[in-house]
Amino acid sequence: MSDTTTLAQSPDDTAKTSYHYKTGNQGVALDIKDFNLWYGETQALFDTTFPIQKGLVTALIGPSGCGKSTLLRSLNRMNDLVDGLRISGKIEVDGFDIYGKGVDVIALRKRMGMVFQKPNPFAMSIYDNVTYPLRVDGVTKKSILDDTVERCLRSAALWDEAKDRLHDSALGMSGGQQQRLCIARGIASDPEVLLMDEPCSALDPIATAKIENLISQLAGTYTIVIVTHSMTQAARVSHNTGFMYLGRLIEYGATETIFTNPKVPRTNDYVTGRFG
Amino acid sequence: MTVSTEQDIPASGAAGLAAVAAREATAGRRVRRFSSDLSAVGEPALWAFGGALALGIILVAGFLAMIAWNGFTTFWPKPVEQVELRDGTVLAGVATRGGPYRVGEDVLQRLDDTQRAEIEDNNGIANRTLYQTANFDLYGDDFRWISDFEVAQSTTPPDYWYFERQVWGVFIGRIAGLTIDGESRTLDRALLAREQSAARDRFNQIRRLEQRDIGRINFQIERERLAQRRAVLRHGEDSPEAQAAVAEGQARIAEWQDEFRVLQAQVNELRELDRRYRIQMQEVGGREVDVELSQIVRLFPANDLGIFDKIGIYLSRWWEFVSAEPREANTQGGVLPAIFGTVAMTLLMVVFVAPFGVITALYLREYAKQGRVTSLVRISVNNLAGVPSIVYGVFGLGFFAYTMGGTIDQLFYPENLPNPTFGKGGILWASLTLALLTVPVVIVATEEALAAVPRSMREGSLACGASKWQTIRYVVLPKALPGIMTGLILAMARGAGEVAPLMLVGVVKLAPALPIDGFYPFIHLDRSFMHLGFHIFDVGFQSRNSEAGKPMVFVTTLLLLALIVTMNATAITIRNRLKRKYADGQF
Repeated sequence: MSDTTTLAQSPDDTAKTSYHYKTGNQGVALDIKDFNLWYGETQALFDTTFPIQKGLVTALIGPSGCGKSTLLRSLNRMNDLVDGLRISGKIEVDGFDIYGKGVDVIALRKRMGMVFQKPNPFAMSIYDNVTYPLRVDGVTKKSILDDTVERCLRSAALWDEAKDRLHDSALGMSGGQQQRLCIARGIASDPEVLLMDEPCSALDPIATAKIENLISQLAGTYTIVIVTHSMTQAARVSHNTGFMYLGRLIEYGATETIFTNPKVPRTNDYVTGRFG
Repeated sequence: MTVSTEQDIPASGAAGLAAVAAREATAGRRVRRFSSDLSAVGEPALWAFGGALALGIILVAGFLAMIAWNGFTTFWPKPVEQVELRDGTVLAGVATRGGPYRVGEDVLQRLDDTQRAEIEDNNGIANRTLYQTANFDLYGDDFRWISDFEVAQSTTPPDYWYFERQVWGVFIGRIAGLTIDGESRTLDRALLAREQSAARDRFNQIRRLEQRDIGRINFQIERERLAQRRAVLRHGEDSPEAQAAVAEGQARIAEWQDEFRVLQAQVNELRELDRRYRIQMQEVGGREVDVELSQIVRLFPANDLGIFDKIGIYLSRWWEFVSAEPREANTQGGVLPAIFGTVAMTLLMVVFVAPFGVITALYLREYAKQGRVTSLVRISVNNLAGVPSIVYGVFGLGFFAYTMGGTIDQLFYPENLPNPTFGKGGILWASLTLALLTVPVVIVATEEALAAVPRSMREGSLACGASKWQTIRYVVLPKALPGIMTGLILAMARGAGEVAPLMLVGVVKLAPALPIDGFYPFIHLDRSFMHLGFHIFDVGFQSRNSEAGKPMVFVTTLLLLALIVTMNATAITIRNRLKRKYADGQF
């Protein structure tokens, strides 16, 4: 994966936005353009513009309340559930604005798997959990479902642990297993993008290591956007990192650069632990 | 490190602490006490609440124990006493209950001096016992109070029998004679038992012929009559269609009537035979009553029973109670129709209330825009739970029975008018009324259960590309199911125990037929029915002889409680199974 592009962007007086991200060889998965978002009267995102590269892992870091989760949840329109939400700007997938008219939200979400902060397997068997995205899509053929279960559980490094108890309740698994099950569920409908909202914050270090391994393996096959509080995690798993502060994207660049030689002083303060 | 003096660190323990406090007091500072203020301590409140709870539990447990004791002892056979009074009267009866009472002035005047002195020594209090003397047909009363001072002698002669009759209630007396197949026979217990059981079989056979076979013919004839009437109503009285239908119907009715005559002849024959098996019973005063043996439901020598005989009688009475129809204005016999009615009505109510309540709650919680109107609806629903149940009864009668039922009759059963089919109280209207009464409970419980489903689960489902309905159907509802079940259980418990509204919309003292039987269309939702709760009210407070009904009140109460507990336990078991299925893991 490839050279570094540096763009001098928007000469903003308070926080200079700096772009010097890596580009993959597959193009752009999600193109966020001048995206603003309001919860009622409160603006949560300001003029966010950056491309998420296909096949790479993009980490979003920043202090609590900086809007990184909001941004992530805007990518598959999970924020639609919130009352009084307003947006402006665009998020484009293959040239289509996902907030445009006539966009089928359900079809959009099928193209994006999502993994949440707390493992949230459904009160069903492991098998039913993994096949849920297919079944709500109307797939009933058993051979397809069986293949999907094996493929996804293998991808999620859960097959060996789960293959003998596929029809047991998913709620009987440990937290780390549950989270890997949620990842398996997230990739079951063969999405293009996998959105991860602090996937390891509720897990112990060993489970965290397994998930991080998994992320590295899935990169390339899927475009992964991960929100994390752990800077070391961002450093370990991601190719590009975006630093957000107070609803603005301050710096977006190759992970090594962000953590070793950030262009914006505030990013430096954050990654070195001087505030946050 | 500083070196401390002896004053700085006093000797350890309470003395030391006190010394600190004293020193601080002398220094003019706030005195630190080492016991908390009473107002800060929760224990007294805890004791008060705990004590109140304990008291409540003791009251409820005592009440249940009383019902259970009275209910379980009612059917135990008790000895018959022959009591000779000082004035020479002799009577026989079963002691039922007793206690002290204040003797009236006029009674005291009539007593001799020693007795009067004895009572006056006892502050004018004497003991008395209530004897069930039975033989209502001879005495005009079933019970008599006897004071202890009236009694000259009390014995339990072994030749007294206790007869439970099909009509007129209990007879207590001796057996004067036995007539088997027209011949007078000497008393032989084995023979008596055999012949009584054979006579009961005959009795049941007659009953079966009358109720089932002749009942079916009556049912068919009534249907033919209604079909003719329908044809007349539809085509006009003089039209050829109507006349053809009438002629055809009359022919069929004639066929049925032939069959009826055959059955009637059979019944008459059996009755003739039955009259040849008789028993002559003699009460304590010597008067005799001569009845068919088949009229005796159960008889036993009350003072000459072994423990196994008693257990046998006890069990056979329980079995009759739960499996037979009532006799003697409900004060004797069984309560099977009432059990059936209660269960059928409650289940029917659940069938109505479950979908209605759950769908309403789903709309309110998941789809309706949360705002002023929704909260208004919610408040109204909650307040509906507080409306007195009799008001629901009045509403049910006016709206369901008269308005809806009346309309149904006009549209679908015009041939039966002016007799109402659905336009009166019936099991359908009763269960709908109860469903209305209990729907707030289900709505509130379901809303709570839906609200308790974690947001993360819904988001997980939506993120998988499920629609809102799919999310509700596959994720939210299964998770909320135990909570919904809890609501249904509460509704069921309330509905099964409710009586007041039912008295207006379909419960009757004695229903001639069950709502479900062997006649097409098998389920008769228009029929009136019996109910255990109403049975208690009726037997205890509306019967000709409430003393005779009292034991039945306890037994029926016990049974109603047992029934509700059983239904609830079943529902709770199902709910717990669901809960386990959807239990949270260790996370």
